[in-house]
Amino acid sequence: MSVTKRPKKSRYLIPIFGGMLLTFKILLKNLFSRKKMLTLNYPEEHYKYGPRFKGNHILTVKKDGSLRCTACMLCATNCPANCIRITADEHADPNVEKYPISYEIDILRCVFCGYCEEACPVDAIRMGPEWQTAALNGSNFVYDIKHLAHRENLKGGVQSVVDDKERHKAGI
Amino acid sequence: MEHKLLTEHYNKDNYKSLEGYKQCGGYETLKLALNKQPKELVEMVKASGLRGRGGAGFPTGVKWSFLPDNNEPRYLLCNADEGEPGTFKDRMMMEKAPHQLIEGMIISAFAIQSHKSYIYIRGEYTDSISIIEQALKEAYKQGYLGKNILNSGFDHEMDIYVGAGAYICGEETGMISSLEGKKGQPKLKPPYPAVKGYLEKPTVVNNVETLAAVVPIVRDGAEKYKAIGTERSAGTKIFSVSGNVVKPGNYEVPLGYPLMDMINKLCGGLPPGRKLKACIPGGSSAPVLTAEECEKACLDYENLMDLGSMLGSGAIIVIDDSNSMVDILSVIMHFYHHESCGQCTPCREGTGWLDQIVKNILHGKGRLQDLDLIQNISQHMMGKTICALSDAAALPAISFVTKFKNEFIDYIQQNKISSDNLNQVV
Amino acid sequence: MKKMIKCTINNYPVEVEEGTTIIQAFKKLEQEIAHYCWHPGLSIAGVCRLCMVEIEGNNKLQIACNTVVQDGMVITNQSQKVKDTVRWGLEFHLINHPLDCPICDQAGECVLQEQYMKFGAYQPLMSEDKVKKRKVVDLGSKIVLDTERCILCARCTRFTDEISKTKELGIFNRGDRSEIGIFKNKPLENDYALNTVDICPVGALTSKKFRFQQRVWYLKKAPSVCTGCSTGCNIDVYYNEEGLWRIRPRHNSSINQYWMCDKGRETFKHVNPSGRLKSSFRHTAEQTEKMTTFQALQTLKLDSKKIGLVLTGSYTCEEYDAFLDFFQLHSIYHWKNNPKNFEDYDNFLIRGDKNPNTKGLLESINKRQLKLEDCTQLEQNISHLDLLIVCAPENHKLYPCLEEKINLFLKSKELVWISPHSHTLLQKPINTVWTIPSKTYFEKTGTFINHHGTRQKIKAVASIVDSARSLEEIIHILKTGQTDLTQIASIRDKMKTNYFMEQKGSL
Repeated sequence: MSVTKRPKKSRYLIPIFGGMLLTFKILLKNLFSRKKMLTLNYPEEHYKYGPRFKGNHILTVKKDGSLRCTACMLCATNCPANCIRITADEHADPNVEKYPISYEIDILRCVFCGYCEEACPVDAIRMGPEWQTAALNGSNFVYDIKHLAHRENLKGGVQSVVDDKERHKAGI
Repeated sequence: MEHKLLTEHYNKDNYKSLEGYKQCGGYETLKLALNKQPKELVEMVKASGLRGRGGAGFPTGVKWSFLPDNNEPRYLLCNADEGEPGTFKDRMMMEKAPHQLIEGMIISAFAIQSHKSYIYIRGEYTDSISIIEQALKEAYKQGYLGKNILNSGFDHEMDIYVGAGAYICGEETGMISSLEGKKGQPKLKPPYPAVKGYLEKPTVVNNVETLAAVVPIVRDGAEKYKAIGTERSAGTKIFSVSGNVVKPGNYEVPLGYPLMDMINKLCGGLPPGRKLKACIPGGSSAPVLTAEECEKACLDYENLMDLGSMLGSGAIIVIDDSNSMVDILSVIMHFYHHESCGQCTPCREGTGWLDQIVKNILHGKGRLQDLDLIQNISQHMMGKTICALSDAAALPAISFVTKFKNEFIDYIQQNKISSDNLNQVV
Repeated sequence: MKKMIKCTINNYPVEVEEGTTIIQAFKKLEQEIAHYCWHPGLSIAGVCRLCMVEIEGNNKLQIACNTVVQDGMVITNQSQKVKDTVRWGLEFHLINHPLDCPICDQAGECVLQEQYMKFGAYQPLMSEDKVKKRKVVDLGSKIVLDTERCILCARCTRFTDEISKTKELGIFNRGDRSEIGIFKNKPLENDYALNTVDICPVGALTSKKFRFQQRVWYLKKAPSVCTGCSTGCNIDVYYNEEGLWRIRPRHNSSINQYWMCDKGRETFKHVNPSGRLKSSFRHTAEQTEKMTTFQALQTLKLDSKKIGLVLTGSYTCEEYDAFLDFFQLHSIYHWKNNPKNFEDYDNFLIRGDKNPNTKGLLESINKRQLKLEDCTQLEQNISHLDLLIVCAPENHKLYPCLEEKINLFLKSKELVWISPHSHTLLQKPINTVWTIPSKTYFEKTGTFINHHGTRQKIKAVASIVDSARSLEEIIHILKTGQTDLTQIASIRDKMKTNYFMEQKGSL
């Protein structure tokens, strides 16, 4: 609990005026130099976050466009919000062995902690710079593979930094 | 000087036939032995101080006395799977004097009261196989083998078993597995072969040379045999000398013979203009000796042990200054990597790992810390496995890297890759 | 009685039977010791070289699995020498291991993982290339082999040599090229093959059916008894919110040792919610009426009727007792899964009697001196009966004669079918058919008596279908007309919260 020491009763008018002064100062500043204004006119204007911003998830892909994910379930295990659901299956290629046939993230439950990214041993899931999750009622907030790996603004998918050959050399 | 106790008649052309062997007094000792008590023979061999000539040097008489006193069938196995790189003495013995071996085996079998024996010959020795086969036929024909040998009431059957060329089948339990028709892999000890060996029955496994040496012991008496050689290493031993010497070959000398005399006097020294760099005194699994150590070395079990090496199977590999130690170690490591049976983890993985590291050094990809790593790996391979193959790989690795460290460091630092070396390895 | 000898292990004095190996003494004392190849149910291979111990007076380290304890032995595996050796032993195991834990099904219950965390070096020294071997090798219809993950402990080969005696598996090649494998056209198909998957300490052998279904850390396990046949193997059932996933054997030295058959491993599927009878029904030719079990039992008129009972061996002793006490005076028929091979036995575990508690049924009958007639007798008597109550088998798959028998039962004027499952034939009857959901072994507490007469308790783990009632509970409702089962102490203890109803929230 934080205890705030209140000013004595007789002096409370002085801070009020101080506050008003500040408000009007900023108002005047904003009126005359709009470029320095701290707020944005969202949604017409968008703030540009740094590249390391943890926004909506991206499933990375290999060179051939297939998912990098091996369905190891470490992200799902690590997820504190329990929002990742994976169904694994046997892959035809013995070098791939296991892959997800469905990968779902319930984005409304997601707390964007980034633990999934952290847990992933093969750089298959990343948190991208997108942060606008808002949509109309009735939209699908459970993102599937199609959305996570191949949504339009990813332009054909994000390639994983883990190279196939390197991966096999390391034995993963 | 050479002391030809076993190899005396080897130069005679017909010595390998039964007739020729008998002309030189062959099978007389067998008659002598069959008139004695089996226990007496065991005591005799014990008193002679004969030690296993196959590599480990375990006293033969003691090994025989480990057999339990029961009525179970016993087996005598002759280990003619001579696989140690550098060794070729058994082959000569089998090709020149097959009957000497057979006689020694019958006497030994009588001593341990075994009615069945096998000679396990490595598959590559095709000549030895046919010669022994022929000799066995002759011996059966003349009644030295089979039922009621020389009217003594003692029965004995002898067979040949041809190995498929695995080094590990030269290890006694590995050989027993192979003989049983299983994969040639050493068995866990205990139980020891003397208690549960071939087909779970008491078994004695002896080297060709050991069994052949039983003949002169029984013939001349234990004291006479013990007088040869040193106090604790009695008798003579055949050494297979190879490498950079003028006259490589098999030489029988009394144990305790100086190594330098062997190289310089008997083998005619090194090729002209070369200097002795190192010498492996007991086959590829023995730790290497430097030139200085060679000066002090005498060829007997104790002296070489003191020098940190071992007599092993008596394969002396002489290395002169024209050779690279990295190169030689790489060949040795490749051999053990190839021959590890794959049963125990330290050996299975360790031999492969050592092979790769040494090959990397050889190919100019070595790192300085690899030398420590080789020693560490070898340290943890030694004495941790069922059989001694792991030690056999680790010991040369350690000795090469410690005794010729500078050469390895030079090799790594200069990063040299000569096409010669590459070809040899590939 | 064997002679007891004393020894000291890690400074703890312990008394063991003569002839005990050091590793057994360690296990007895619950001291940690690293090992892969040693398995209490198999012969000693002594190849992993991890169970090294230091024995006082012996300079060389010895393997604990092949060294017999001698009187006064002072043994330790806590010395630096042993620790170094074990660390290096693990290093050797791992240098050619692919470390593909993310896709390996064994991850989470992998002994290599566990022991590396406990004893490992944590500083891998290997920078050379790993040996490449075959991956995803098909060993038959049940098992997949990954030769790279294999640490060649030879447990599986020893199992096929010694326990199943089928000798399908072998180690081929030598050195670090060694691989487990099968002979050409000789797949690993014996009835006990999946035990090799259990004993494989790593993910080299994986079961095709369980492969990639679940991560093992999502599963909980509960002890139970196999209901696949009358041997009554002890099992662990692995389950989570989504259902039951697999069955593995649990050690019981007097029944199944460490093993179980592959058919027994399938006996979890009928427990899962899908396909279960979820509530009671009253089927007539005209209509199907859905009702709760309580309603059904209330509406069921039992008075002054000629009732026939058909019993199978898949219920607990307590259920039989309650049931027979209530229905004493009626004719009772025994429904066997397959009368022809009912007495079959493969001399190891599998029996032809596919019920866990046939002995228990006979015992309850004999206790009351009732007459148990064979099901074939029913054919003649069925027309005389007003009502037929069938306590149907729990697992319909084990009854090849199911449809034939249902057709027979449907000839009765009124049929009460008590089972966890319904059948399509029952849903369009000529006469009246009541289907009442019953509980499976996973949901009830009770006793099974196996073929040898051993009594084994099973415990309710969770309730899967809410409306399902055990025979005991059905009889209680019939007797008292009370729905509140929690009033009875014996039943209250068995009630569990419905673990399976809990679902993740969704929008």
